[in-house]
Amino acid sequence: MRVTVKLYATLGAWLPPGAVRNVAPFELPDGSSVAEAIERLGVPPGQVHLVLVNGQFVAPEARAGRRLAADDALALWPPVAGG
Amino acid sequence: MNDDDLLRYSRQIMLPEIDIEGQERLCAAHVLLVGLGGLGSPAAMYLAAAGVGRLTLVDFDRVDLSNLQRQIIHRTADIGRPKVESARDALLALNPGVTVTTVPHALQDEALAEAVRGADVVVDATDNLATRFALNAACVRARRPLVIGAAIRLEGQVMVVRPDRPDGACYRCLYRGDGEPDETCSQSGVLAPVVGIIGAMQAVEVIKLITGAGDTLDGRLLLLDARDMEWQEVRVPKHAHCPVCGVPA
Repeated sequence: MRVTVKLYATLGAWLPPGAVRNVAPFELPDGSSVAEAIERLGVPPGQVHLVLVNGQFVAPEARAGRRLAADDALALWPPVAGG
Repeated sequence: MNDDDLLRYSRQIMLPEIDIEGQERLCAAHVLLVGLGGLGSPAAMYLAAAGVGRLTLVDFDRVDLSNLQRQIIHRTADIGRPKVESARDALLALNPGVTVTTVPHALQDEALAEAVRGADVVVDATDNLATRFALNAACVRARRPLVIGAAIRLEGQVMVVRPDRPDGACYRCLYRGDGEPDETCSQSGVLAPVVGIIGAMQAVEVIKLITGAGDTLDGRLLLLDARDMEWQEVRVPKHAHCPVCGVPA
């Protein structure tokens, strides 16, 4: 299945091929979880602080159980603490 | 309020959401503002201009040439001065009716707790997670509203923590881990107006908390991607076992 990933700030270093700015299509096995998608992207889990699926917050403890569907939009933010 | 005050704040008093009652609340309010950098600069200036009666400014740092691109409360002539002193002078020049207290060092433990207890609203305009966590914990313990802003590169975040409300998420409900790698503006860069946007939004939320106007961003995280100029709102649920505001697992 194909989902869309959007990686913010420093996480842009892990964008898959085909990215336009910080958005890229991403192929995943059907039924993949959010945690599996993050692992396949290669982003160190410690750097993923905010996970949104279709704009909805996915808590850290829910990442392994939250299944993605085709066309889902997965957005990942690192900690944003500057000011 | 005297005639000058009525004229100074007239454009705000004429708003039905503020009115004379809201303005009087602002004039009687005490805001603790931690961080006089990119976020704290616009937040402090708008709060002083809007007539918040007492501002306590906390920052251990001194003004550096590399700050001036975005920390708009400071001037070139202020380079080398403590940021809180530079900021105080700018705020009093803007509005001499405001009382400004300066704390030119970091606040920790009991000193931080006491400063938070003494404020009606706390503004997190700091630049690192460790300080943000400490401020969040102090606000949760003292049940003081906390207005959090953060920005880096072309991205920004705003959220309000309401520890006085039972179901309100805190900053630790959002960021769980310990010792996360920090990304600072000095290392990664930041576009000047992005901190301005976020800092100004923090001032809006503070004014609403004090006056009771509208709905604030309680447990709602606003995310700004200024590169594509997209805003996203994310509801942050309270984490039942949050180490700060939850019950132990």
